[in-house]
Amino acid sequence: MANDRNNTEYMRPIRRIVVGGLVVFLLALFLLWRIDSPRVERFRANLTDRFVPSFDWALLPVTKAIEMVEGFQSYARIYEQNQELRRELRQMKAWKEAALQLEQENAKLLDLNKVRLDPSLTFITGVVLADSGSPFRQSVLLNVGARDGVVDGWATTDGLGLVGRISGVGRDSSRVILLTDSNSRIPITIQPSGQRAILSGDNSAAPLIEFLETPDAVRAGDSVVSSGDGGVFPAGLLVGQVAIGTDRRMRVRLTADYERLEFLRVLRSHANEVITDPGSLIAPAQIGPPAPSEAAEASQ
Amino acid sequence: MIDPVTSQRWLYRSLFVGICMVIVFFQILPLSTLPTTVPGPDLLLCLTFAWVHRRPEFVPPLLIALVFLTVDMLTQRPPGLRVALILLAVEFLLSRHDDSSQMPFAAELLFTVSAIVVLTLGYGIVLRLLAVADAPLHLSMIQVVATILFYPLVAGASHLLLSRVGGTGDLD
Repeated sequence: MANDRNNTEYMRPIRRIVVGGLVVFLLALFLLWRIDSPRVERFRANLTDRFVPSFDWALLPVTKAIEMVEGFQSYARIYEQNQELRRELRQMKAWKEAALQLEQENAKLLDLNKVRLDPSLTFITGVVLADSGSPFRQSVLLNVGARDGVVDGWATTDGLGLVGRISGVGRDSSRVILLTDSNSRIPITIQPSGQRAILSGDNSAAPLIEFLETPDAVRAGDSVVSSGDGGVFPAGLLVGQVAIGTDRRMRVRLTADYERLEFLRVLRSHANEVITDPGSLIAPAQIGPPAPSEAAEASQ
Repeated sequence: MIDPVTSQRWLYRSLFVGICMVIVFFQILPLSTLPTTVPGPDLLLCLTFAWVHRRPEFVPPLLIALVFLTVDMLTQRPPGLRVALILLAVEFLLSRHDDSSQMPFAAELLFTVSAIVVLTLGYGIVLRLLAVADAPLHLSMIQVVATILFYPLVAGASHLLLSRVGGTGDLD
């Protein structure tokens, strides 16, 4: 016992040094992340890429098993669900007829106008491997990565509506920041008024509409699509519908089924024009009103 | 020949890492991708503190740093800051143990609760000072309450698991 006590007393300063060193190292890492975030984030993407896909043999079956159990629990309400589905199916059939007619009409009109749809908007489909694991961050990990040609900033949809954008690409995996994440900002257009705004996530199911010029022109139920403002995002992807939140602020009810994200489409965007030389951007002839000094010289 | 105390120590250290991996595994399952309104408890924190109170030699600082840094990286948190605060909290809890070898559970709970609250507050304050987007305050508070409520359960389970191990005399 006495021996142990001596041992403990001898160990204590060493422990203190180890803990001190670790704390300093960790705080330095945090500061490095704060100052040079992209470098650390790239490291994070690579680490996740090594870690998570090696578990996909377990991740997918366990997810499916838990979903099956949840499905079994809803077995009790199966009769009501059946009735409800039949009713919805009847409505859907009517809608399908209408949609087919409209599609034919649309195809005819497009042909008449010789409209060419953008052929470069193809997609890669990925399976959702994991989510962020934290209740305060909204993102999912896909099983497609740099190997499949995925590039940071591309848009992802679930087939119904916009889900988010790629942020962080590893070799075999890439992370999608969902529209609901508090770091997500997407340029949008609100139809039919055509107003531009920013959709900003705030960790709730319905993201906020910000920087809207005339809120009076927008009503609940207006459809929201992505806009190509700034060239960061493909335009015209359906996002959702305007809804007024409980806090009386304008929000978007998302079209994508966020309850269950299983397969996501990553849309290949155009290669944006890369600006390498800032000088050539300045036009040779000055556009707009002349500078004050020049104006003074001209008048003399 | 490895002496039994050392081998047992490494067995329980790997058990700790194993439990942590299972918890993280279930956290990152994409079961619901809707934002949660009621965040669950931070079970990793409960587990670490419970083991620190019972068997500090099974959770050395290096292991805690490694586990929590990996979790920070996987769960998109700002890396490092929270780990450093957890290490300091662990040192605080251990320093409370110096006076008496056996601590009543009420005292343990009190110290742990204060450690969790100070940890979360400190984390939030530093993030806000450095203008890093953090979770809304009410969500972190709900998580603190949930963590505190779950602590006795985790502590009880850890007690059952660890009380069978023969004492080694270290800090205990």
